[in-house]
Amino acid sequence: MSIRYYDGETAEVHPVAVRVTTNELVIYRPAGTEVVARWPLGEVAVLGDTQHEVVPPVVRRGSDARLIIEDSRVRSNLASLVPALQPLVPQPVAVGRRIAVFSATIVALVGVFWGVLDYGTEYAVPFLPNSWQEQLGETVLDDLLADKEECEGTAGLAAINRLANDLAQEAGYPHPITVHIVEGGPVNAFTLPGGILVFYSDLITQAKDSSQVAGVVAHEIGHVVHYHPTKGLVRAYGMDLLLKLVSGGYSEMMSTVGGGGSLLLALRNGRAAEREADATGVDLLERRGLRADGVSTFFQQLMEKEPKDAAAAAGIWSSHPPTAERIEATKRPTTGRPAFSNAEWQALLNVCK
Amino acid sequence: MSNTSSPWTQPAPQTTGQTTPPGTPPGTTWAPEPRPTRPVYDGRLGELYAIYLRHLVLMLVTLGWSRFWGRTNIRRYVWSHLAVLGDRFEYRGRGRELLIGFLLALLMIAVWIGLMWLVWRYVFHERPAASFGMFDLFSLSVALIGFPLAYVGHYAGLRYKLSRTRWRGIRCGMAGSAWSYGALATGLHFANATTAYLLTPLVSVNLARPRISNARVGTLPFLFAGRAGDIYGRYIGYYFLNILAWVAAGIAVFAAVGGTIESLGISSDDFLKLLSNPSLNTVLLILVLAFAAYIVFGLLILPLRCWWQAYLLRYLVTHSRAGNVLFTTALTTRQMWGFLVLNYLIILLTLGIGWPLVMHRTMKLISAQLWIYGEPNGQEIRQPTDRGPGYGEGLLDMFDVSGV
Repeated sequence: MSIRYYDGETAEVHPVAVRVTTNELVIYRPAGTEVVARWPLGEVAVLGDTQHEVVPPVVRRGSDARLIIEDSRVRSNLASLVPALQPLVPQPVAVGRRIAVFSATIVALVGVFWGVLDYGTEYAVPFLPNSWQEQLGETVLDDLLADKEECEGTAGLAAINRLANDLAQEAGYPHPITVHIVEGGPVNAFTLPGGILVFYSDLITQAKDSSQVAGVVAHEIGHVVHYHPTKGLVRAYGMDLLLKLVSGGYSEMMSTVGGGGSLLLALRNGRAAEREADATGVDLLERRGLRADGVSTFFQQLMEKEPKDAAAAAGIWSSHPPTAERIEATKRPTTGRPAFSNAEWQALLNVCK
Repeated sequence: MSNTSSPWTQPAPQTTGQTTPPGTPPGTTWAPEPRPTRPVYDGRLGELYAIYLRHLVLMLVTLGWSRFWGRTNIRRYVWSHLAVLGDRFEYRGRGRELLIGFLLALLMIAVWIGLMWLVWRYVFHERPAASFGMFDLFSLSVALIGFPLAYVGHYAGLRYKLSRTRWRGIRCGMAGSAWSYGALATGLHFANATTAYLLTPLVSVNLARPRISNARVGTLPFLFAGRAGDIYGRYIGYYFLNILAWVAAGIAVFAAVGGTIESLGISSDDFLKLLSNPSLNTVLLILVLAFAAYIVFGLLILPLRCWWQAYLLRYLVTHSRAGNVLFTTALTTRQMWGFLVLNYLIILLTLGIGWPLVMHRTMKLISAQLWIYGEPNGQEIRQPTDRGPGYGEGLLDMFDVSGV
């Protein structure tokens, strides 16, 4: 049976034949002359296309009735008589060539996407409005400091903020820097988008001298002036999006595997960013004529406390380069002015009291 | 399996207009059509790939916004290549309907965020506990609503898909409330989780019932005659065998990994060093070990799970009917393994690109393993007046990985 007619009211199947008159498509029973339906040619349409459907149904507009014409020769004949039925004609599709072209396009697009993500962020992020970055940083800060006590010694905060802003200006960074000090440990500091620095007070109290704290401030300013936190976020979001797009969003497991890959990429970028921040930090201190040995002595102190180099041991899983390598790269003489005056340093040591 | 619940021994309901075959005395057991048919799937893998890869290209170009149209095109291909009783299915959904569904779900989430902000500001007075932030409140609340909403989305998504599916020009459909289903599914899954999964047969049957018995082809409803009691015996056997298999697999993997490391004379420090700076050999060794662990679990755990899943599916299919049309399947544990495990591995190992192959295999499996007894009386199945929802699958898109 080559033509089936569904009346749109019941699920009954009518085997039919069709003929075309000057203004109608006449559907009739092949055994006899009983006309089942007459469709004005102006109201005849094809639903869908032959690329996605084996037999696109022929319909009369505004009706649920359908003609299903399995025989492709009959379809071609009808299409030659009724222009509106042209979509019924099967289009020869070179499936192999299509697959090859689409595959090559996907590989190229993934490459472009990756390139834009990895290198494009490098140039585009500084143009993001600072107010957005600040807002983002403050939101993260609120969450991070939710159960922490902030130190509020006015003079100490003024001292560290003064140095941070001096160094940022030296680098030509056009926005203000805000430093927060959190009571307690670990001995660490970090940078958030929008020029927000967070120091733990243990880092200050356990420092051998003010040059070490100045070294860490300079290192963090290195992150700020290179927009590392915002770039990291943009890249992480972009990689996540890319993985979802190429996997069609169909595989949770794929996201997990891909998530591991993007984490490794983020860590690789993280190690590069640390090296860049070290170099920039030392350079900024030297340009202002300040003592620049604090970065390396700070790392040396860390090594003395924990001789086993965790970053080196962690290898590709580490967010930081090996500490020994960083000491070597940031070694400087003890010459230069102190970054803090004695009064400032004392105020900073007492910032949490 | 209880014979009394089997639709094979029950007369067809009169509401469907089923007519007793001539010569059958009134009140006697109705005998099904003796010659079964199977669905036919005549889709080609290459064609499906061409459509899927085009969809991926557009996904990359539009950053994912083309997915609604891509999904629609794939469904049109798959539906149109599947025929039951000689008549092909039609999928008449539109990409923009899925887009609207997604935007509405997005709006719903935006309203929820606003509501949580108000709760945060006026109920919690900004900080109820030092470690509890606005983000914590929001994440917690989304996790809480996301779980039931995924079930609501599953049901509503099924309703949308059915309402856009036609067979012999007649729209399919889904009655019942998606919200009631969501509440039922949440309650049953919670009860199951708190009773060490001993309620699984109850959950499976009671969630299958609304999905099957609310489905319609035109005015012809499906019926489901399953009862949890029928499958409890098999489940309890599976449950305890599964525990035994986990213990055995755990011991085997522990012994194998420990033995390998020891026999190679590697200390734990060396082992960590190897992991942190992996050479190609280390990566290969890890892959071999992972594969070995998979084999051990694959041999012990997964066949057991497939054994249960195949049994459950056979039970659900044979206890479903549509008027005088009965269904059955003889799906084996091995075929279920191919469906559940192999398909999963194909997706995983091809990083998602194997998805059309999985779809193709699934459709082939359905067409080979679903047997249909009887034929509906076409004249008595009428076009429903209900056209179904105007948009669809927003919740599914938002809270669930939604395939075709």
